[in-house]
Formats: sequence, structure tokens, C-alpha cells
Amino acid sequence: MLEVNDLMVFFENALALNGLSLKVDEGEIVGLIGSNSAGKTTFINTVSGLIIDMRIKEKRKGGERISIYGNIRYQGEDITEMPPNERVSKGIVVSRERHPVFQESSVVENFKIAGYLRTKAEIKETMDFVFTLFPPLSKLKTRKAGFLSGGEQQMLAIGMALVVRPKLLLLDEPLLGLSPMMQKAVMDAIVSLNKESGITVLLSEQFARPVLPVVDRAYVVENGMLSLSGTGAALMNNPEIKAAYFGV
Amino acid sequence: MLTGTILYALINTAILALMALGFNLTFGISGVANFAYGAFYILAAYGIWGIVNLLHLPYPVAIIVAIVANMIFGALMYRFVLLRVRGQALSEVIATFGIGLAILELFSYFGWVGFEYTLPVFVDRSFAIAGTYVDFQRLAILGFSVILVFCLWWFTHHTATGLAFRGIAQDERTALTFGINSDWIATLSVSFGAGLAAVAALFIIPLGSIAPGEGYDVLIKALAVCIIGGLGSTGGVIAAAFIVGFAERFTDTYIGSHWTMIVSLAAILLVLTIKPSGLFGKQKELEERI
Repeated sequence: MLEVNDLMVFFENALALNGLSLKVDEGEIVGLIGSNSAGKTTFINTVSGLIIDMRIKEKRKGGERISIYGNIRYQGEDITEMPPNERVSKGIVVSRERHPVFQESSVVENFKIAGYLRTKAEIKETMDFVFTLFPPLSKLKTRKAGFLSGGEQQMLAIGMALVVRPKLLLLDEPLLGLSPMMQKAVMDAIVSLNKESGITVLLSEQFARPVLPVVDRAYVVENGMLSLSGTGAALMNNPEIKAAYFGV
Repeated sequence: MLTGTILYALINTAILALMALGFNLTFGISGVANFAYGAFYILAAYGIWGIVNLLHLPYPVAIIVAIVANMIFGALMYRFVLLRVRGQALSEVIATFGIGLAILELFSYFGWVGFEYTLPVFVDRSFAIAGTYVDFQRLAILGFSVILVFCLWWFTHHTATGLAFRGIAQDERTALTFGINSDWIATLSVSFGAGLAAVAALFIIPLGSIAPGEGYDVLIKALAVCIIGGLGSTGGVIAAAFIVGFAERFTDTYIGSHWTMIVSLAAILLVLTIKPSGLFGKQKELEERI
């Protein structure tokens, strides 16, 4: 479904991603594990196309020069230079890090804004589905999103991505800043989306412990380079991973 | 006298709100401070005048053509001028102000000034309300402003484009992740702002005549209302229109008409000293910086 070959991204002369290659097959949950500044967010932004927008904006301002090399193929098509809105309509939807929601709008309005490309009936249908997936949200329909807790905002952010009806869902650090209980609730929801709704998921995360047991495969990135890859179970038992991420 | 003053203050409020809503819409969504706003207002007025008096087309046709032409002109200005300097606030202001100056000074240069340059009132009648005479045009402005505010509210809460406007206004990068094209929305916001300038001209110009100098006046008033209310906040615009609208009329009646011009400028100074982000403003950074 998604194939990334030798991806290199520079911000001016700083190398953010260095020859990264990975593959996501249809129906999989794939993890991208790495510590801070490993390049996870840059990778997610490059796949979702947000970096194309950043590059244009920086160019207009005469700011930082962003260069992208290598290629990204999605369902056989080269999308490396495709603008983000076209990628969204092809089914690649990202939920950015730090649970981005529209703070001044209510929960229901957030769904409506997210459903820009969908009809009212489709928005309603997904919204009802999200409320069954995340029951706490259904009590907060009219609450302003800025007043939700971090976990509730993360649920909303994932729900908003679902309204777009993704084929490939990119989640950037969905567990960031959440309590262990909330982390579990979010991971369970991601698994059920994958198993029951058939959405392919690529998620980046620095917490390996809740992620590795549920992913089909995972890639470990360090300093913008792949250091390890394998099935979730195999990585769980890898001594280096144990030392670096589990503190064992 | 008091009821009369209040009535005219309400009408003044409606006029100020009508002038400021377009400027506010553009700034609130795309962050473009469209300093050509006053020029758009005058351009639409001359447009309607020209279509009626030079091309001899019916008035309703002239209105529609002028509004649509203004919207297209706004969109073109964004696409071909603003897009190149996007993200640099100062360059955006200089570019739009330059375009505004060029338009207004061209009209002055060609000497399109005089009492024959005016637009007809909708209905030439006046009514006595509580002992005060008010003409139909002013009542129409009052009624239409209320309808316009309601329509804008409905548009931004119940249509996909309007909701996208609010998404972009709150968090542009997140809005991008839902397939909203930020340049297209910004184009629309400048275009809608220009369209609203045309609508304001259509209602307000019949009270006086078309003069290029009006353009600066409208820009200053729109700016005053938006700064006092807090740039980009529709609720703020309405509140500020009330404050300035009432202050102006009451100054006129109880202090002296030559003091009215000072009121809005004094209000700007006062608000900028006490609450720099405006009454309902969200420019927190500005507040923190000061």
C-alpha cells in the first residue's frame, strides 16, 4: 500500500531523515519507534504531505530551505510531490502530534470542520461511530475542545481523522502525554479500527511498551536512520530494544 | 431628543458594523490585513454608478455585476500579488495599501468627484419613529446589518466552506490534514471581504455621494472597529461598533459635531494602551510582548 524508498529530508543543511525505506501493506498496523528528534514527525509529515506545504510557506517567506529526496509510492503511484489535500482525498489521513483540535469550537463542530470533504450524512454516521468507539466523548458533545483533557483531545483528534474516512491512517505520537490507562484505551481503539474497520495504520511513538505487542511490524529509527525492523514480537525480545525502551 | 439620538446611534452602529465585517472576515481567516478595503468599497460604488449611468443597464443587474466583479478582483489580488509575500505581515500591508492608494488616486486623477456621482436610495420615503424622522435607507441599513450578521453566523457554522474558514482561522496546519486547501480558503476570504465591501457601499453610499476620499474614511473606521473589538473576532466587531457608534452620536448631540472624528481614534488609543489585543482579541502574544 505504502512504499517509501531512500527518503532523505533536509532542513537547510541539517539532515532530518537519512535514506529511510519502509513498507506498509494493506490491513497492517505498523509502528515507527524512536526517541525524541529521531525524525518520526518529519517522516509522518513527509508521507502526509504537510512538509510540501511547509516548504512552500518557507519559500514564500524566504525562510528555511526544505529539500526532499527519494520517493514515496502509495497504491503504486508516486506521491512524493503531491500536495496534502490531494493525498487526503486519496485516503492518506494524518492525526498530528500533541492532539491537535480546534480549541474554540465544540466537539461536534470539530467533527464538522474535519468533514470538509464528506457529506453531512457521512459526518453524522462517523460521529456516531466515534462516540461508540470512545464513549467518554459522547458526554462532551457541546464542550469546547480546548476545555477537554489531553486524553479526550487525543480521542477527538483520532475521531476527526476518522471522519475523513482514511484508507491509511497516520498517527503521530498518539500516546504523548496520556496516562497509562488512557494510553491503553487509545491503543485498544486503534487495534479495533484496524481489525474491524479495516483501516491500515502507521503510527509513530516513543513509548514502545504499549505499542510493540499490538503492531504487526515495527521499524526503529535513530537519528533519521533505520536501525532495526521486524515483527512486534521479535522486537519485544530484542535485547537492544529491551535496554533502550523498556529499561530492562 | 434622547430617543432620537439612540435611534441614530443604532443606525451609526449598523453602518460601522457593515463597514468593518468584510475587513474582519478577511483578517480573521487568512490573517491578511486588507488595506485596499476602502478602495474596494469605492470601486464597487463607481462600478454600480458606471453600469447604471454609462451602460444604461438596470440597477439590480449593476448591483450583482459590481459585487461579483469586486469578488473576482479580490481573488485576483490574492493570487497574483499577496501570494508572493504571504506570511510577511508588513509586506502584505504595504502591497494592499499600495493597491488601495493606486485605485483611489486614479479616481481622483480622472476627476470623478461631484454630486452627480451617487447611488439612488432604495425607497425615497421617511418615517417618524417616536417623534424622530428617519429615512427608509437608514432603516434598511439597520435591518440588513442584523440579517447580514445572522447570515455570516449561519455560513460559518453550517456550511462546509464556512466551517473550513473557521478551521483555517484556528489552526491552519491541522485544517490541512482534513483536505482543506489553505490557499484556496485564503483566496475566498479576501474575495468575500471584497464582496462585503461592495455590499456595504451599496447600502451606505446612497446616504452621501461617491468620493475617493470616502475610501480612506471607510478604511479608518473599519480598522478602528476591528482594533477595538479585537482583530478577527466577529463578536468583538459588533461590540466595538456599538461602542463607537453610540459614542460618536452622543458626542455629536451633547458635546459638538466637530468632536465626533476624534472619538474613534481616541477609542483606538485607549484600547491599545489598556488591552492591546482588543476587547475580544485573541492576539495573546501581543499582550505578552507588551
